[in-house]
Amino acid sequence: MPDRIRVLSVLVEDGPNTLSKVSGVIRRRGFHVRSISVGPSQEPGRSRLTLQVDHGHAEADQVRKQLERLVEVVEVEDLTGHEVHSRELVVAKVSASEVPSLVERGARVLDSGPSGTTVEFAGEGKDVGDFVDELLRHGIVDVARSGPVVMRRTA
Amino acid sequence: MVLQALEREGVELIFGYPGGANLPIYQRLPNHPKLKHILVRHEQGAAHMADGYARACGKPGVVFATSGPGALNLVTGLCTAYMDSVPMIAITGQVNSTQVGRDAFQESDVIGATSSVTKHSYLVTKIDQLPRVIHEAFHIATTGRPGPVLIDICKDVQQAEAESVPHERLEIPGYKLNGHVDLDRAKEAAIALATAERPVVLAGHGVLLSHAEEALRELAERAAVPVGTTLLGIGAFPVNHPLSLHMTGFMGTGWNLKAVQNADVLMMVGMRVDDRVTAKLADFAPQVRTFIHIDIDGSEMGKNVRPQIELVADAKQAINAILPHLPEPEKGRGTWLAQIDAWREEHPLRYTHSNGHLQPQDVLIDMYKRCRNEAIVVADVGQNQIWAALWWNYDRPGLFLNSGGSGTMGFALPAAIGAKFARPELPVWCVAGEGGFVMTAQELSVAVEHQLDVKIVLLNNFSLGMVRQFQDDFYGGVRSQVDLTHMPDFVKLAEAYGLPARRVEKFSEIAPAMDAAERIKGPFLIDFRIDPEANVYPIVPLGKSLNDFWEAPESNA
Ligand SMILES: Cc1ncc(C[n+]2csc(CCOP(=O)(O)OP(=O)(O)O)c2C)c(N)n1
Repeated sequence: MPDRIRVLSVLVEDGPNTLSKVSGVIRRRGFHVRSISVGPSQEPGRSRLTLQVDHGHAEADQVRKQLERLVEVVEVEDLTGHEVHSRELVVAKVSASEVPSLVERGARVLDSGPSGTTVEFAGEGKDVGDFVDELLRHGIVDVARSGPVVMRRTA
Repeated sequence: MVLQALEREGVELIFGYPGGANLPIYQRLPNHPKLKHILVRHEQGAAHMADGYARACGKPGVVFATSGPGALNLVTGLCTAYMDSVPMIAITGQVNSTQVGRDAFQESDVIGATSSVTKHSYLVTKIDQLPRVIHEAFHIATTGRPGPVLIDICKDVQQAEAESVPHERLEIPGYKLNGHVDLDRAKEAAIALATAERPVVLAGHGVLLSHAEEALRELAERAAVPVGTTLLGIGAFPVNHPLSLHMTGFMGTGWNLKAVQNADVLMMVGMRVDDRVTAKLADFAPQVRTFIHIDIDGSEMGKNVRPQIELVADAKQAINAILPHLPEPEKGRGTWLAQIDAWREEHPLRYTHSNGHLQPQDVLIDMYKRCRNEAIVVADVGQNQIWAALWWNYDRPGLFLNSGGSGTMGFALPAAIGAKFARPELPVWCVAGEGGFVMTAQELSVAVEHQLDVKIVLLNNFSLGMVRQFQDDFYGGVRSQVDLTHMPDFVKLAEAYGLPARRVEKFSEIAPAMDAAERIKGPFLIDFRIDPEANVYPIVPLGKSLNDFWEAPESNA
């Protein structure tokens, strides 16, 4: 990953404008979103975003600081360089009807039939990348990939 | 309900314009005689009036506009306030909540259009949200780093009947700008300043916003440190003070720029350190060992210049944290101050008094002699702005208002009107170029309607002067689309609006015209036809470092 990428975990208040405010700040400050995943947090009315952001020419810390200025943003944690668990999910359709080598790698078969097989795989970004490379050999029909969901390791 | 909530927030004055989507609010306005409403002639005018009002008295300015075009006409004014951290509340009408998103008549996504130029914004679709939203909005607009907050209220919400319950609780967990203070390194800052050989302090708008001018002066005098200000920081330090460096930045004074470029410790207080201050960033203050940056907004730290010492707090709090730690300044300080005096002699502000034309400085010097510092000057944008900044010796906050961050032409007249409403006891002078003036000239009607004692000084050079100068100086002398010979006769224009006016073409006519302006109560306009070739100096060529400033030719007068 290039050094300019920051990994941020952002707790936000749910609201009609929250996501557009967050993406607006990132765009306006010249940063670029590499990936984003959003889901409800354990606190009612709040969601957690996991963002990978390229901070471009700005100082690395600016992404966090600019997000913190938003009233919709409750908390930002910069996880870049920390010991974390990072998980991405990929769901793919391949034309092969048998995929033993994928299953060996840890893929789960979701369905299969004469036209092919649908599999899912979760793991670190790099493993997911390798898995997608492996899929190429089975005739990829379609791939859907999530951004990472990240959490600090238990101390 | 909206109006009651505004009364509770202490609002006395509203600048606004009605339309379909805010009619329910206007219908109830006559029932609230304590809320004085000023009907503007264009919504942009309302926003600048509210801005000028807020800058002049510190209270948030309040604006009303209808949906769609009405609200969108506010955008420039919101941006102007946002860039300069001015507290403002904009209340816009929105179509009925059931119609939102259907491209209803005069519907526009006002929140979307204003998000990047407001500190925060709300769309109110249910009546029970309203008390909380209004209370929060005032809190957010006025605390921490101030700024404009927009409240977009659906028409059905404005119409809804509900008991108006005061909302006192404030729970805004995401609002952090007001809370975060970091003064751990105040002592280091004090020692760095006192032990520096060649220290300089630059003061920005944050010093004015936090009323830190007294503390700053104490710090400067005790540490024997010279102080310059940004364009928006004018008034933070008296220009006549022996330690004053006057204005900094790419149109700052020569002795200021020399001091900044030779400083070894530079403390920047309540300022963003933008490109107009640094000129070429890589060459900004190249000898500085220790940058000290004070700002209430932590995101300013390192945004442009990476400080060695950061203090996150309002300017007053930060300076007061430094003061107790301040040791006796270095003995060698006299050499540095003497050096600055020498630069002041060598690079004074100068102009050539007469080359057959009226010079803008002639006008401003006469104005200053009359008013001293007992007046508010509101400048527009362009050459007129820089002349008005440099050729007065402002000694206090709140006397010089201008659009610094956004550089919005058309700001001056409406902002001067707003300032007059805020400070009726002080004379208000509006200084503008003819280009910017006509962008919002329709607001003359407001000045006449309310017989506001606003004196309008047009520095009429028959061109978009600042752009013309840039073309002459930095774009090979190609004059492109800057000619303004076809303009109204401003004396007749003023008369058409119902205010007296004069034209001045000669030096000898300045004083009588100014006398008339001062004698006559109510608005007055003077069309000063100045040297069309007059330029702003010093100036740093675009892309160059502060060292490379150009100066006015030596005066022979
Ligand atoms: C709304 C807006 N449009 C364009 C500009 C760019 N601009 C900056 S200064 C200037 C010239 C201003 O001319 P005038 O108002 O006559 O004032 P002068 O410089 O002659 O004093 C222009 C066009 C601006 N600052 N604001």
